[in-house]
Amino acid sequence: MTPILVLALGTLLLRYLPWREEKGPSPGQAGPALVVALFLVSAFGPPPSWLWAKTLAALCVVFLAWRLSRHLGLSVLLGMAAYALF
Amino acid sequence: MAALPPSTANPLRQGLLAAWPVALGYFPVAVAFGMAGAGAGLAPWAVQLLSLLVFAGASQFAFLGLLAEGASPWLATGMALLLNLRHAFYGPALRPYLAGHPLLAFFLTDEVFAVALKFLPGLPQTARTGFFLGLGLGAYLAWNLGTLLGVFGATRLKGLPGVGEGLSFALPALFSLLALPHLRNPVALGAGLLAFALHLLGQTAWGLVLAGVLGFLWRRP
Repeated sequence: MTPILVLALGTLLLRYLPWREEKGPSPGQAGPALVVALFLVSAFGPPPSWLWAKTLAALCVVFLAWRLSRHLGLSVLLGMAAYALF
Repeated sequence: MAALPPSTANPLRQGLLAAWPVALGYFPVAVAFGMAGAGAGLAPWAVQLLSLLVFAGASQFAFLGLLAEGASPWLATGMALLLNLRHAFYGPALRPYLAGHPLLAFFLTDEVFAVALKFLPGLPQTARTGFFLGLGLGAYLAWNLGTLLGVFGATRLKGLPGVGEGLSFALPALFSLLALPHLRNPVALGAGLLAFALHLLGQTAWGLVLAGVLGFLWRRP
């Protein structure tokens, strides 16, 4: 409960304070680095196994759906369905 | 991107109308978030509380993902906040059109920011606050209704074959699309691969911390 409240308050302050103060901190490449890292660690669990191939196949469905629809939610849901079916 | 909604005397309604493409994008992702949260073992109320109070999709998924990887809640909170640092850039960009207010700042997600920046310059000053509030509320309602449906859907669908497997892929699927634009960024890719190497060695949480710190310290060449 407390971590959620801290996350909520911290997020609000990150949005509000630079707006009020006219300038904000420079996060460098932290956001992109974390997103890429989160993708890799969430998609491919150790040790390497046949599940990685299944994951890659489902990721292909996600990227194909994204390329055709440009709809984030639809692409995620189709990827989930593909992963369940493979 | 939708065209500017038809002019109306009510800026709040105009903002709500402008929010529908954002809401359309948010809703299924929020359903997936609610389902993934339930799948990760969080209490339904905690999953909904995240959407109600944080309202930041990527960091909410990151928070869940880190908890699912066994990280402590405080580490997950810190990393999610690090991910939200980019929001610090949005307020100053909107300042010429809107006065900073905590309530308005609460709605400042990536998508709301992008739509606001497109429409606000063309609106009269008196209509801008109402428009932004309507835009933010529309996105917020879609995100929270989607989460609610996902949480309850996950509970009801848990016994169906394939649902558990599908749920386990919600986070990788979303992160793959969020990561896509950054895969050509050598700093992000290098930090991500380093985190992945540590993940393979069983040090997932430290790998993510290292990726965040490296990204924070390095500048894009």
